Amino acid sequence: MRDVIESDFIEIDNLSVTFEAKGRRVHAVQNVSLSVGAKQSFGLVGESGSGKSTILRAICGLAPVSGGAIRIAGEPVNTRNAKAFASRVQMVFQDPYASLHPRHTIDRTLSEPLAIHGIKGTDARVVRALEDVGLPASFRFRYPHQLSGGQRQRVAIARALMLEPEILLLDEPTSALDASVQAEVLNLLNRLRAEHGLTFLMVSHDLAVIDHMCDRILVMQHGRAVEELAREDLASARMKTEYARNLFAASADRMLGATSKD
Amino acid sequence: MSLLEIENLRVTFDTETGPVHAVRGVSFSLGRERLGIVGESGSGKTITGRSVLRLIRPPGRIEADRMRFDGIDLTKASEKQMRALRGPRLAMVMQDPKYSLNPVMRVGAQLMEGLLRRDRLGRAEARKKAIAALEAVQIRDPERVMEAWPHELSGGMGQRVMIAMMLIPEPDLLIADEPTSALDVTVQAEVMAILDGLVRERGMGLIFISHDLRLVARFCDRVLVMYRGKIVEELAAGDLMEAKHPYTQGLLNCLPRIGGPRKPLPGLDRTGDWANA
Amino acid sequence: MTQTLSQWLTDPSPSSRAQARIGQAWLAWLRLRRNHLAMLGLAIIVLLCAMAAFAPLFATHDPFTQNLGQRLLPPGTPGHWLGTDDFGRDIWSRIVYGARITLYIIALVAVTAPVIGLAIGTVAGYFGGIVDTVLMRITDIFLAFPRLILALALVAVLGPGIVNAVLAIALTAWPPYARVARAETLTVRNSDYIAAVRLQGAGAGRIIWGHVMPMCLPSVIIRVTLDMAGVILIAAGLGFLGLGVQPPLPEWGLMISSGRKFLFEQWWVATMPGLAIFLVSLGFNLLGDGLRDVLDPRSASR
Repeated sequence: MRDVIESDFIEIDNLSVTFEAKGRRVHAVQNVSLSVGAKQSFGLVGESGSGKSTILRAICGLAPVSGGAIRIAGEPVNTRNAKAFASRVQMVFQDPYASLHPRHTIDRTLSEPLAIHGIKGTDARVVRALEDVGLPASFRFRYPHQLSGGQRQRVAIARALMLEPEILLLDEPTSALDASVQAEVLNLLNRLRAEHGLTFLMVSHDLAVIDHMCDRILVMQHGRAVEELAREDLASARMKTEYARNLFAASADRMLGATSKD
Repeated sequence: MSLLEIENLRVTFDTETGPVHAVRGVSFSLGRERLGIVGESGSGKTITGRSVLRLIRPPGRIEADRMRFDGIDLTKASEKQMRALRGPRLAMVMQDPKYSLNPVMRVGAQLMEGLLRRDRLGRAEARKKAIAALEAVQIRDPERVMEAWPHELSGGMGQRVMIAMMLIPEPDLLIADEPTSALDVTVQAEVMAILDGLVRERGMGLIFISHDLRLVARFCDRVLVMYRGKIVEELAAGDLMEAKHPYTQGLLNCLPRIGGPRKPLPGLDRTGDWANA
Repeated sequence: MTQTLSQWLTDPSPSSRAQARIGQAWLAWLRLRRNHLAMLGLAIIVLLCAMAAFAPLFATHDPFTQNLGQRLLPPGTPGHWLGTDDFGRDIWSRIVYGARITLYIIALVAVTAPVIGLAIGTVAGYFGGIVDTVLMRITDIFLAFPRLILALALVAVLGPGIVNAVLAIALTAWPPYARVARAETLTVRNSDYIAAVRLQGAGAGRIIWGHVMPMCLPSVIIRVTLDMAGVILIAAGLGFLGLGVQPPLPEWGLMISSGRKFLFEQWWVATMPGLAIFLVSLGFNLLGDGLRDVLDPRSASR
């Protein structure tokens, strides 16, 4: 019995999200179900407008859920109890240029969650958090505009880990970054997942990134789930649907050995 | 004879914390071929592209020993001459069509504007040309797109319209700055194929600026790799895998691959002498 | 300490929050210094402050001493370079002492109206819905009255006097700040950094105070400097109508009012304080324009 609960750490059941914009109803997500086991890494992949980011926002209560249920460790999520939810689930946003407050120093950004939750020992924790994401302590009192995109994203990751959550929602965490910086950030995320025992729910449009990071993958299109794949099925091109195959073909130059010598 | 010759191009921005050298001595020449400029953000690739059109605003300064386009000295050309060059002879496609199209003008009107004003064509003829341009970028129902507002177009559609607009005056040189990076992968390939076909058919010169080394290698004849305002390596596109420079190699190796091993990705080692040159 | 002050100010890795903040202010100051017109504006305002602080040193006469033998002397008279008014008081000295009253009014308005406006604007913008509707309709009601008329009505109820004049001005000046703050809040509200702090469990109060307000502050400060000219004019207007500062205090509006009777024969009595109002208003406007370039979050983030 315990196993069942373990494998359904995050459960999303027939989730629908509907926005109301200028009298028109936009069905951003329609009847999507998925489940992620504890300490697993699950990927959502799709093109723009496929609703993949909306699912993450719905989990956090940042998007209006119009149907279905979201459960974490068997309990329906309650984003109204913001503090309890915050110490359990955190999110890393796509654009590191927009996700850090431009008029707060890194120190302020990182100590804010501690202040909200009344956690003591701010100095030591902030320094340790910076160390953890590979930033020098001398960055502590800088402003975001004094950092590069990759450094900002490291700060955003450090902020997400300040409250020691169990689940990290990653919304295209590297799509705004250069390739070499993307590699560093992906490595960092993998290391932190192993060290902190995190569960990842990651969104990306890049199949290669998702493949590198995730064990299971859900392909989405127009707000609907198209196909769920294990990592091995993706690498050996065993997909069942037309759309997933197209997406795979368009990423052909991201295949192992596609352009490299071996 | 080469279409564009640039020697020792330098672009400097004077800021309150001192001058920032965005481009530090870039030289290259271009015939009627497809040249790729690759580099990461801050490498100066976009600034290089923009300085060819002299689209650098103060406090930026452009200096070059030589900057000639088809025999015209771009360093000495007046602003009026530059305006006459931009568009009919030198065109640029930007990254995001959302910011390049006028949001309060229908697509058709924007396409026809140049034809009506500059070439003094009649409405019917201008319309015919605009529709032909949309067909050239493989838009299926050009009549409908002509009547559309920019916000009604998808990203891929908007970028095609931008390319069509740039190609109407049949320029000699097209500078495409990350024309596909705001687009989905499946659309990306289509747009690149369209661009590629047009360059071949019309014998234009193309400068393709991108951060994606492999995309550039696929669509260009020659590739310049830039790092911190300098060209670190020049390669024939086919020889990409034989790249010697550690930076180029690093860029190639740091991408994750589908089905690749689950070990940490090789990062870019910036400790070599080249990194601080 | 081998470090020089400018190194400490431009240190890319500050060692405390205070140093980081001062360093940023220093950079803003360097940017502002490039704008010559803004510096001219600042010079005018600094001069005004100096004049107010050291009025006895600047003034050549006592502003209240009447000398009917020397009434209505024209400008250029030795000893009375700007002339004298109808009671023989030195106009220059009265303008100098009037700077104190002007500054007093400006300072009081600057610490009240923007604060009210900022609070109402950010709360309305952040919560939206019914809160927004109610607060903004109240704002609209205040905006719908001509400012001077509303101030007049308030002074008429409260009675004339300098404090009541300030109160009236503050109560009529806040709605534009509320609008500015609300507009800014609407753009900030849906940003990722606000979403991030919400996800950390922050309450509305903390978000508005610590995260939204700092983003609205620059636009409000710019607006305040640009409005200061208007505040001076309204204060002068109330003084002119006899509802603000009471004679014999040397308030600039009041001085114009008293010069009105001799406008055609002894033009300087009304013109000199008018010039003072004009100069100070110009100073604030120039500074405000310069600050816009420096503080505007859209230009500063780049």
